[in-house]
Amino acid sequence: MKKYKQPSTIGRFGEFGGMYVSETLMPLLLNLDKSYKKIQKDKKFKKELNDLFKNYVGRPSSLHYAKNLSKYINGPKVYFKRDELNHTGAHKINNCLGQILLAKKMGKTRIIAETGAGQHGVATATVCALFGLPCYIYMGSKDIERQKPNVFRMKLLGATIIPVESGSKSLKDAMNEALRDWIKNVRDTFYIIGSTAGPHPYPKMVRDFQSVIGKEAREQILKVEKKLPDYLIACVGGGSNAMGLFYPFLNDKNVKIIGVEAAGKGAKTEETAATMTSGTPGILHGSYSYVLQDNDGQIKEAHSISAGLDYPGVGPEHSYLKDIKRVKYFGITDKEALEAFQICSKLEGIIPALEPSHALAYLIKAFKNKQKNKVVILNLCGRGDKDLFTAAKAIGFDADE
Amino acid sequence: MNNLDSLPKKKILSLFMTCGFPTLNQSKKVFNEMLSHQPDIIEFGLPFSDPMADGPIIQEANKLALRSKLSTQQSLNLIKEFNKSKNNTSFVIMCYLNTVRKFGLNKFIKNIKSIVDGIIIVDLPFEEEDAIKRSLSKNNIHLIKLISPMTDKKRSQKLLKNSKGFIYYISATGITGSNKLDYKEINKNVKSIKKMSSVPVLVGFGIKSKKDVIDISKKTNADGVIIGSALIQKYFDIKMDFNKYLKSLKKFIQEVKI
Repeated sequence: MKKYKQPSTIGRFGEFGGMYVSETLMPLLLNLDKSYKKIQKDKKFKKELNDLFKNYVGRPSSLHYAKNLSKYINGPKVYFKRDELNHTGAHKINNCLGQILLAKKMGKTRIIAETGAGQHGVATATVCALFGLPCYIYMGSKDIERQKPNVFRMKLLGATIIPVESGSKSLKDAMNEALRDWIKNVRDTFYIIGSTAGPHPYPKMVRDFQSVIGKEAREQILKVEKKLPDYLIACVGGGSNAMGLFYPFLNDKNVKIIGVEAAGKGAKTEETAATMTSGTPGILHGSYSYVLQDNDGQIKEAHSISAGLDYPGVGPEHSYLKDIKRVKYFGITDKEALEAFQICSKLEGIIPALEPSHALAYLIKAFKNKQKNKVVILNLCGRGDKDLFTAAKAIGFDADE
Repeated sequence: MNNLDSLPKKKILSLFMTCGFPTLNQSKKVFNEMLSHQPDIIEFGLPFSDPMADGPIIQEANKLALRSKLSTQQSLNLIKEFNKSKNNTSFVIMCYLNTVRKFGLNKFIKNIKSIVDGIIIVDLPFEEEDAIKRSLSKNNIHLIKLISPMTDKKRSQKLLKNSKGFIYYISATGITGSNKLDYKEINKNVKSIKKMSSVPVLVGFGIKSKKDVIDISKKTNADGVIIGSALIQKYFDIKMDFNKYLKSLKKFIQEVKI
C-alpha cells in the first residue's frame, strides 16, 4: 500500500475537498493556509500547544478497557479512548486550542464559531476566555432549545450567542451565518471551524489538531495489548473526532476502520443525517464532499436526535476514505443510539454523549457474539451531560415520578 | 453575438433578481417590469438552498422561490422566455456551483448558450475555474470575475487576465445588502483594476438608492453599478402585496436609471 498522503497542496483528498468560496473569502483562506503551514514548523507553537494539552485539557486522555461492555457483547475486547474526560467534556477543545493559538499568531482580535450540539461552541468560548478574545457563537435556534446546558455554559464563559433562525435552524444554517459574519468582518476576525468540513485548509487543519487522539491511542494500545487494534470505531457528523482517531492508523492496513453516521429515523427515510449512506457528492460550505441533496442540488435538511451529528454534509476526507474503501461507513438510528446510551451508562458507569452512542450502538449490533479475541478502540468523544434532557424526553423518563 | 461586448462606456446599470421570486408566475411579471426599463444588464439568480455569499434578503428570496420546488430547468425556461436576442439588455446568470454540477456542466452550458451572455458562479474561485471557463468560452458565454477589497494586486492580475464582459467589484467587504460604502476605497481599488483590464468595472453589494448610484458615478471611477438586494427588499417593505410591489419596483428602477 502506498503511504497515505492527503490532501494535495490545494486541499484535495482525491477529488474531494477544495476551496469553493466567493472572492471575498478566497484571499483569507489562502492567507490562513500560508500561516498554518508556517506554524506547523514552529517549535514554540508545538510546545505551547502541548503544554496546554497536558495542563489545561488533561491529556493524554485515558484508554479504558470496557470490561463489562465487552462481556455483554461477548465479542472483542473493547477499549474506550476517553476524550470525554477532556476539559469541557469532549474532543472539540483539542482543535480550538490549536486554532486560537494560530489566530493569535495571525494577529486576529475577534473569534467566531458555529455550533450544533454546543460542544464546539463551549470549547471555543473556553479558549476565548483563556486568551481574552471576544467570542461570537452562531447556533441554530432549534439547537439552542435542545442544548440549553451548553448555551448557559457558553454565556458563563463570556461568549455572545447569536441564534440562527434561517433554514433548518441547526448546524448547517449556523455555519452559513458564521461564514457571512466572516465575509463581513474579514480583517479582524478568525473563524474557528469545529469540524473537518468547510473549505481548505480547515479539513486538514482540524484533522491535524485532532490527530492527537489517534497518536495517543496508538501508543496506549501498543503498551497494553502489545499490538495494534483490529478495529477502530467512531461516530461521524462532520467527522473531526473520527479523523482524529483514524488518521494516525491509516497506513496500518490490518487495522479495520469504521465510521458511524446518524441515520435518524432510518437511512432510507427523509429524516436522516447519514450523508455517506444516503447522499451524493456535491458542494456545501466551500467543500466538495458527500451531501444530502435533491436532484437540483438543493441541500436537504438533516435529522438526528444528536445535535452534533445533525449535519447534511461530511468532511471531504471521509468521502475520500469511503471511495477508496479504506473506511467503511454505516448508519445507526436515533432509537439504536438511545439504547446504547443506556447500556453504556449502566454497564460502564459512563454516560456517553448521544454522538458516540451511535458508535456504541454499531459496536453492540455488529459485534455481538462475534470477533472474539479481537481488539476494538472506540472513540468516546463526548460525555452525555448535555444530552440528559433530550434523552430523558426521548426515553419517556419523568423526573417527578 | 454577445451583448456584453457592446456595453456602454459609462453609467452601466445592472439589475439582479432571483428567478421564481416570489412565485414562478409572479416572477415573470417582475422580470418583464425590469426589462421594460431596458437596463444594460439583467442578472438572473438561480435559487439555492444555502446561498452563503448572499445576505439575508436574497436568502429569503431564494427560500420563497424554492417553496414550490422550483427546478433549475424551470428557472432556465423562464430566462429563455425573455428571449435575449430581442433586446439590447445583456443577460447574465448568477448562481452557485452546486446547481451547475448537479444539472451537469455540459447540459447546463447547452441549455444556457443561446439564452445568456454571461455567468457569475459565486463560489467558483479562480483556482477551480479552468475546465468550466474553457467550456463557457467555446460557447461564447463570458465568465464574469469578482474582485473584492481583499483581493491584492498580484492576485487581481491573475484573475483579470483575459477577462470578458465586465468585472464585478464587491464594494463593501460584506455580503450583498450590507450598508456601508467607502467611496475612497472603492475608487482606489477600481482605479487599480482598470489599469489591469479594459472591460467595464461595475460596483455591487450595498447599493440601495439613487443617491448611492449617483455617488458611485461621481466619486469613483467605476463604470456602473449592480443593484440586487434593494430590488427584493421592496417586496418585504410593501408587506408582500404583489401589485404594489410591481409599482414600487417601477418607481425605484426609474430613479436609479441616471
